[in-house]
Amino acid sequence: MKLQRGKVLVDPPASASSDIAFILIIFFLVCAAVQPETGISQVLPKTEEKKDKQEQSKNLEVSITPTSIVLNGSPLKLPEFAQRLTAALKQKTRDADKIVTVKSSPDTPYPLWIDVSQTIKEAGGILTLELESDRVINVE
Amino acid sequence: MKIQRKKLTASVPAFAMGDIGFLLLIFFVILARAQDDSHVQWQPAKLEEADMVAASLASVTIDTGFKTYLDGKELSNDELAGALMTILGDAPAGQRNVFLKVHKEAKASHFEPVIAAIGEAGGDLIHILEPDEQTK
Repeated sequence: MKLQRGKVLVDPPASASSDIAFILIIFFLVCAAVQPETGISQVLPKTEEKKDKQEQSKNLEVSITPTSIVLNGSPLKLPEFAQRLTAALKQKTRDADKIVTVKSSPDTPYPLWIDVSQTIKEAGGILTLELESDRVINVE
Repeated sequence: MKIQRKKLTASVPAFAMGDIGFLLLIFFVILARAQDDSHVQWQPAKLEEADMVAASLASVTIDTGFKTYLDGKELSNDELAGALMTILGDAPAGQRNVFLKVHKEAKASHFEPVIAAIGEAGGDLIHILEPDEQTK
Protein backbone atom coordinates (compact mmCIF):
# COMPACT_ATOMS: atom_id res chain seq x y z
CA MET A 1 0.00 0.00 0.00
CA LYS A 2 1.35 3.39 -1.01
CA LEU A 3 1.27 6.26 1.35
CA GLN A 4 0.24 9.62 -0.18
CA ARG A 5 2.61 12.38 0.74
CA GLY A 6 1.07 15.69 1.53
CA LYS A 7 2.17 18.33 -0.98
CA VAL A 8 3.94 21.20 0.70
CA LEU A 9 3.67 24.56 -1.09
CA VAL A 10 6.51 26.92 -0.30
CA ASP A 11 5.73 30.59 -0.91
CA PRO A 12 8.49 33.17 -0.81
CA PRO A 13 7.90 35.42 2.16
CA ALA A 14 5.81 38.44 1.12
CA SER A 15 8.04 40.75 3.11
CA ALA A 16 10.92 39.97 0.71
CA SER A 17 9.06 41.16 -2.42
CA SER A 18 10.07 44.79 -1.91
CA ASP A 19 13.70 43.74 -1.53
CA ILE A 20 13.45 41.76 -4.78
CA ALA A 21 11.98 44.82 -6.54
CA PHE A 22 14.78 46.96 -5.11
CA ILE A 23 17.47 44.66 -6.48
CA LEU A 24 15.71 44.52 -9.88
CA ILE A 25 15.61 48.32 -10.10
CA ILE A 26 19.32 48.55 -9.24
CA PHE A 27 20.01 46.01 -12.00
CA PHE A 28 18.05 47.90 -14.68
CA LEU A 29 19.51 51.25 -13.59
CA VAL A 30 23.06 49.96 -13.94
CA CYS A 31 22.22 48.43 -17.34
CA ALA A 32 20.78 51.74 -18.57
CA ALA A 33 23.71 53.77 -17.25
CA VAL A 34 26.41 51.70 -18.95
CA GLN A 35 24.77 51.64 -22.38
CA PRO A 36 27.53 53.13 -24.57
CA GLU A 37 27.01 55.86 -27.19
CA THR A 38 28.32 55.53 -30.73
CA GLY A 39 29.21 58.25 -33.18
CA ILE A 40 31.99 60.24 -34.82
CA SER A 41 34.07 63.07 -33.43
CA GLN A 42 34.99 66.36 -35.07
CA VAL A 43 37.30 69.01 -33.68
CA LEU A 44 35.82 72.47 -34.05
CA PRO A 45 38.18 75.44 -33.76
CA LYS A 46 36.58 78.70 -32.66
CA THR A 47 34.18 80.38 -35.06
CA GLU A 48 35.91 83.04 -37.10
CA GLU A 49 34.86 85.74 -39.49
CA LYS A 50 35.02 85.02 -43.21
CA LYS A 51 38.51 85.60 -44.58
CA ASP A 52 39.48 87.24 -47.82
CA LYS A 53 37.44 85.84 -50.68
CA GLN A 54 40.55 85.46 -52.88
CA GLU A 55 42.29 83.32 -50.25
CA GLN A 56 39.23 81.09 -49.93
CA SER A 57 38.80 80.57 -53.65
CA LYS A 58 42.00 78.47 -53.75
CA ASN A 59 40.32 75.81 -51.62
CA LEU A 60 38.00 73.09 -52.79
CA GLU A 61 34.36 74.09 -52.59
CA VAL A 62 31.51 71.69 -51.98
CA SER A 63 27.84 72.62 -52.17
CA ILE A 64 25.27 70.21 -50.79
CA THR A 65 21.61 70.17 -51.76
CA PRO A 66 19.07 67.41 -51.00
CA THR A 67 19.56 66.00 -54.51
CA SER A 68 23.19 66.67 -55.37
CA ILE A 69 26.75 67.20 -54.20
CA VAL A 70 28.59 69.84 -56.22
CA LEU A 71 32.42 69.79 -56.14
CA ASN A 72 33.95 72.93 -57.64
CA GLY A 73 30.88 73.39 -59.88
CA SER A 74 30.51 69.73 -60.95
CA PRO A 75 27.43 67.89 -59.68
CA LEU A 76 28.35 64.38 -58.52
CA LYS A 77 26.95 61.34 -56.73
CA LEU A 78 28.54 60.36 -53.40
CA PRO A 79 30.85 57.52 -54.64
CA GLU A 80 32.09 59.66 -57.55
CA PHE A 81 32.47 62.63 -55.21
CA ALA A 82 34.69 60.55 -52.89
CA GLN A 83 36.94 59.51 -55.80
CA ARG A 84 37.25 63.02 -57.24
CA LEU A 85 37.89 64.58 -53.83
CA THR A 86 40.55 62.01 -52.89
CA ALA A 87 42.31 62.60 -56.22
CA ALA A 88 42.16 66.38 -55.78
CA LEU A 89 43.48 66.28 -52.21
CA LYS A 90 46.34 63.93 -53.09
CA GLN A 91 47.90 66.70 -55.15
CA LYS A 92 47.94 69.05 -52.16
CA THR A 93 50.77 68.84 -49.66
CA ARG A 94 50.20 71.80 -47.32
CA ASP A 95 47.48 71.58 -44.65
CA ALA A 96 46.22 75.01 -45.65
CA ASP A 97 45.49 73.72 -49.15
CA LYS A 98 43.51 70.76 -47.84
CA ILE A 99 40.70 72.94 -46.56
CA VAL A 100 37.35 71.99 -48.10
CA THR A 101 34.68 74.65 -47.82
CA VAL A 102 31.21 73.18 -47.46
CA LYS A 103 28.08 75.20 -48.08
CA SER A 104 24.78 73.47 -47.48
CA SER A 105 21.39 74.56 -48.70
CA PRO A 106 19.00 75.08 -45.75
CA ASP A 107 17.02 71.94 -46.65
CA THR A 108 20.04 69.60 -46.74
CA PRO A 109 19.16 66.48 -44.71
CA TYR A 110 21.44 65.55 -41.79
CA PRO A 111 22.31 62.00 -42.97
CA LEU A 112 23.57 63.36 -46.32
CA TRP A 113 25.59 66.07 -44.54
CA ILE A 114 27.17 63.44 -42.28
CA ASP A 115 28.03 61.25 -45.30
CA VAL A 116 29.70 64.18 -47.08
CA SER A 117 31.63 65.35 -43.99
CA GLN A 118 32.81 61.78 -43.32
CA THR A 119 33.91 61.42 -46.96
CA ILE A 120 35.93 64.65 -46.69
CA LYS A 121 37.54 63.44 -43.45
CA GLU A 122 38.44 60.08 -44.99
CA ALA A 123 39.88 61.78 -48.07
CA GLY A 124 42.20 63.78 -45.80
CA GLY A 125 40.44 67.12 -46.16
CA ILE A 126 39.87 69.73 -43.47
CA LEU A 127 36.19 70.57 -43.39
CA THR A 128 35.17 74.20 -43.19
CA LEU A 129 31.54 75.22 -42.93
CA GLU A 130 30.31 78.32 -44.64
CA LEU A 131 27.14 79.40 -42.93
CA GLU A 132 24.35 81.59 -44.18
CA SER A 133 25.32 84.32 -41.72
CA ASP A 134 28.75 84.58 -43.42
CA ARG A 135 30.42 82.93 -40.45
CA VAL A 136 33.05 80.32 -41.21
CA ILE A 137 34.02 77.46 -38.89
CA ASN A 138 36.75 74.92 -39.50
CA VAL A 139 36.27 71.26 -38.77
CA GLU A 140 39.35 69.03 -38.70
CA MET B 1 1.40 62.47 45.04
CA LYS B 2 2.69 62.35 41.49
CA ILE B 3 1.62 59.59 39.16
CA GLN B 4 4.47 58.33 36.99
CA ARG B 5 3.56 58.07 33.35
CA LYS B 6 4.57 54.98 31.51
CA LYS B 7 7.22 55.71 28.87
CA LEU B 8 6.11 54.46 25.47
CA THR B 9 8.73 53.60 22.89
CA ALA B 10 7.75 53.99 19.24
CA SER B 11 9.89 51.97 16.83
CA VAL B 12 9.68 51.68 13.07
CA PRO B 13 8.86 48.10 12.15
CA ALA B 14 11.91 46.50 10.57
CA PHE B 15 9.95 44.78 7.81
CA ALA B 16 8.94 48.21 6.42
CA MET B 17 12.58 49.16 5.70
CA GLY B 18 12.48 47.52 2.27
CA ASP B 19 9.40 49.52 1.29
CA ILE B 20 10.92 52.76 2.56
CA GLY B 21 14.10 52.08 0.57
CA PHE B 22 12.04 51.29 -2.52
CA LEU B 23 10.10 54.55 -2.33
CA LEU B 24 13.28 56.57 -1.75
CA LEU B 25 14.85 54.93 -4.77
CA ILE B 26 11.84 55.76 -6.98
CA PHE B 27 12.07 59.37 -5.77
CA PHE B 28 15.76 59.68 -6.67
CA VAL B 29 15.29 57.92 -10.02
CA ILE B 30 12.57 60.40 -11.03
CA LEU B 31 14.76 63.28 -9.83
CA ALA B 32 17.73 62.03 -11.84
CA ARG B 33 15.68 61.48 -15.00
CA ALA B 34 14.38 65.04 -14.85
CA GLN B 35 17.97 66.27 -15.19
CA ASP B 36 19.02 64.21 -18.21
CA ASP B 37 17.81 64.34 -21.81
CA SER B 38 16.21 60.91 -22.05
CA HIS B 39 12.76 62.51 -22.31
CA VAL B 40 13.75 64.29 -25.55
CA GLN B 41 12.40 62.43 -28.56
CA TRP B 42 14.84 61.93 -31.45
CA GLN B 43 16.06 59.23 -33.82
CA PRO B 44 19.75 59.01 -34.74
CA ALA B 45 21.02 58.99 -38.29
CA LYS B 46 22.92 55.88 -39.36
CA LEU B 47 26.58 55.65 -40.34
CA GLU B 48 28.64 52.60 -41.15
CA GLU B 49 31.74 53.65 -39.20
CA ALA B 50 30.14 54.86 -35.97
CA ASP B 51 32.54 54.07 -33.10
CA MET B 52 32.21 54.03 -29.34
CA VAL B 53 32.74 57.53 -27.97
CA ALA B 54 34.05 58.91 -24.69
CA ALA B 55 31.90 60.56 -22.05
CA SER B 56 30.76 64.15 -22.56
CA LEU B 57 30.44 67.27 -20.44
CA ALA B 58 27.28 68.36 -22.23
CA SER B 59 24.70 66.98 -24.60
CA VAL B 60 22.91 69.03 -27.25
CA THR B 61 19.85 67.46 -28.87
CA ILE B 62 17.68 68.48 -31.81
CA ASP B 63 14.42 66.62 -31.37
CA THR B 64 11.67 65.47 -33.73
CA GLY B 65 10.12 68.94 -33.55
CA PHE B 66 13.54 70.46 -34.45
CA LYS B 67 13.81 72.23 -31.10
CA THR B 68 17.24 72.52 -29.46
CA TYR B 69 17.91 71.15 -25.97
CA LEU B 70 21.03 71.44 -23.81
CA ASP B 71 21.16 68.62 -21.26
CA GLY B 72 17.41 68.19 -21.60
CA LYS B 73 16.50 71.86 -21.24
CA GLU B 74 15.06 73.68 -24.23
CA LEU B 75 16.87 76.84 -25.30
CA SER B 76 17.38 78.97 -28.40
CA ASN B 77 20.43 78.72 -30.66
CA ASP B 78 21.49 82.24 -29.60
CA GLU B 79 21.69 81.17 -25.94
CA LEU B 80 23.48 77.90 -26.70
CA ALA B 81 27.08 79.14 -27.07
CA GLY B 82 26.98 81.05 -23.77
CA ALA B 83 25.38 78.16 -21.90
CA LEU B 84 27.96 75.74 -23.29
CA MET B 85 30.85 78.04 -22.31
CA THR B 86 29.54 78.01 -18.74
CA ILE B 87 29.37 74.20 -18.66
CA LEU B 88 32.73 73.61 -20.38
CA GLY B 89 34.50 76.20 -18.23
CA ASP B 90 38.29 75.80 -18.22
CA ALA B 91 38.27 72.11 -19.13
CA PRO B 92 41.42 71.29 -21.13
CA ALA B 93 41.31 70.48 -24.83
CA GLY B 94 40.38 66.88 -25.44
CA GLN B 95 38.11 66.85 -22.40
CA ARG B 96 35.56 69.29 -23.76
CA ASN B 97 33.38 66.70 -25.44
CA VAL B 98 29.90 67.81 -26.45
CA PHE B 99 27.48 65.21 -27.76
CA LEU B 100 25.34 66.38 -30.68
CA LYS B 101 22.21 64.30 -31.10
CA VAL B 102 20.40 65.36 -34.24
CA HIS B 103 17.09 63.85 -35.30
CA LYS B 104 17.65 62.13 -38.64
CA GLU B 105 15.04 64.26 -40.42
CA ALA B 106 16.63 67.58 -39.38
CA LYS B 107 17.84 69.95 -42.09
CA ALA B 108 20.97 72.10 -42.34
CA SER B 109 19.01 75.15 -41.20
CA HIS B 110 18.42 73.33 -37.90
CA PHE B 111 21.81 71.75 -37.16
CA GLU B 112 24.37 74.14 -38.69
CA PRO B 113 23.71 76.98 -36.22
CA VAL B 114 24.07 74.44 -33.40
CA ILE B 115 27.42 73.23 -34.78
CA ALA B 116 28.52 76.88 -35.04
CA ALA B 117 27.54 77.49 -31.40
CA ILE B 118 29.48 74.41 -30.23
CA GLY B 119 32.50 75.64 -32.20
CA GLU B 120 32.13 79.11 -30.71
CA ALA B 121 32.12 77.64 -27.20
CA GLY B 122 35.28 75.67 -28.00
CA GLY B 123 33.63 72.28 -27.61
CA ASP B 124 34.90 69.02 -29.08
CA LEU B 125 31.99 67.97 -31.25
CA ILE B 126 30.85 64.36 -31.26
CA HIS B 127 27.96 63.43 -33.55
CA ILE B 128 25.92 60.65 -31.94
CA LEU B 129 24.97 58.19 -34.65
CA GLU B 130 23.70 54.65 -34.93
CA PRO B 131 25.97 52.04 -36.52
CA ASP B 132 24.49 50.95 -39.84
CA GLU B 133 24.44 47.15 -39.63
CA GLN B 134 22.96 46.66 -43.13
CA THR B 135 25.90 48.15 -45.04
CA LYS B 136 28.51 46.20 -43.05
